[in-house]
Amino acid sequence: MKESPQDTADFGYKTVDREEKASMVADVFHSVAAKYDIMNDLMSFGIHRLWKRQAIACSGVRKGHKVLDLAGGTGDLTAKFSQLVTDSGQVILGDINDSMLKVGREKLRDLGLVGNIEYVQMNAEALPFPDNSFDVITIAFGLRNVTDKNAALRSMYRVLKPGGRLLVLEFSKTDNEALSKLYDFYSFNLLPSMGKVIANDSESYRYLAESIRMHPDQETLKGMMDEAGFEQTTYQNMTGGIVALHRGFKY
Amino acid sequence: MIEVIACAALEAALNRLLSLEPQLDAELHTSKHKVLCVELRDWQQSIALTYTGKQFMLFNQYTDPADCKISANVDTLMQLSNPSILTHLIRQDKLDLDGDLQLAQSYSNAFSNLDINWAEHLSRYLGDAPAQQIANCFQNAKVHRVSVSKTLQNTLSQLCQDELKVTIHPLELEQFKMHTRHVKNHTAQLEQRIHSLLNR
Ligand SMILES: C[S@@+](CC[C@H](N)C(=O)[O-])C[C@H]1O[C@@H](n2cnc3c(N)ncnc32)[C@H](O)[C@@H]1O
Repeated sequence: MKESPQDTADFGYKTVDREEKASMVADVFHSVAAKYDIMNDLMSFGIHRLWKRQAIACSGVRKGHKVLDLAGGTGDLTAKFSQLVTDSGQVILGDINDSMLKVGREKLRDLGLVGNIEYVQMNAEALPFPDNSFDVITIAFGLRNVTDKNAALRSMYRVLKPGGRLLVLEFSKTDNEALSKLYDFYSFNLLPSMGKVIANDSESYRYLAESIRMHPDQETLKGMMDEAGFEQTTYQNMTGGIVALHRGFKY
Repeated sequence: MIEVIACAALEAALNRLLSLEPQLDAELHTSKHKVLCVELRDWQQSIALTYTGKQFMLFNQYTDPADCKISANVDTLMQLSNPSILTHLIRQDKLDLDGDLQLAQSYSNAFSNLDINWAEHLSRYLGDAPAQQIANCFQNAKVHRVSVSKTLQNTLSQLCQDELKVTIHPLELEQFKMHTRHVKNHTAQLEQRIHSLLNR
């Protein structure tokens, strides 16, 4: 019997059962959690910091805001948001993976950031918050790991306050051919080897490379955001489109 | 992308300065969490600066509302050291100042009040002679910064005088005082005449 497409999901280039994907993604991040930050710096040559600062610049986060850093992992964005919202605001670091949350919590505590941050384990597809809860939601390098991306976007729309905005930072498609070739070589040959040497885990980094290629391109993701209800949806390419920052509002 | 890198580098430099000069924190206490935005019209850049109490954050391409916004071409900004033309620039639409000007002023004060011993900080990295040379350059730059700060101070009073008529110009005050003196003399004279009339 052939499986219907709704029962399956992509896991990198493999096709797996829908139920299975979440736990396979979980395994990936359980195994990389401890080395996640250092690998991020090495793999992107530190450029991920620039991508993230651009997301923060476009977030409009201010004193008193309530912010959800979804799939926030080790909390790079949360660290900045926590300072911007001050004690009159709040940041919730949400992630499906408790190993990542744990690393994040320790890191932020060591930075002296306490008081306005809450750590909540959650699935982006079904956010455990009432309607109209947040001024800003960010999901950085998280959406491609989510099994049902449309459900996740709808859920984010629901918990966003009217006037609030969503920022999606994610790998995307570059239209520069030379860059694209270089990038392919890098991510399919060098990246898994680096993963093996540094984190002793080439499989997780192969998944990373594959999942990036399977992620919807700029226009497709924009369409998905519109579909979920977002308005004034726009995106900006960074590093030649290797990464794109999408932004949409709820009115 | 190059702007993002420049912005990140500048932010890192500001935060380095903050760790070397703790008095910045005290000076910027009241400005914490407020956003100062500088729009460089000809570069099509909007740069926002905010101090969180722990660190500076600097963002480019900033499009959200700011507490204080300064908008001008780069060369107009350079001219700001000459306060007498400020309102002139504003009338010509070459300069736009919006929001809480005290914020701009307190930043400018905080940085110009810094008395950084560059030679000492740098000699750790460079050795004494080059450090001293660079320090001298900074000294010159500082003189310039002080004038910018004065400019901003004057901006406030100038704006109030020329545009808003909230406060009065010293000359106007002089004039006013002269008027009152006249009136006072008049009343004194009148008073005397009334007295002499009554006593007759
Ligand atoms: C590549 S990390 C990004 C972490 C962080 N935002 C950053 O940019 O450094 C992706 C994160 O997404 C989380 N994640 C994956 N699927 C998720 C889901 N369905 N709901 C919430 N988080 C999820 C993973 O646990 C992981 O921490």
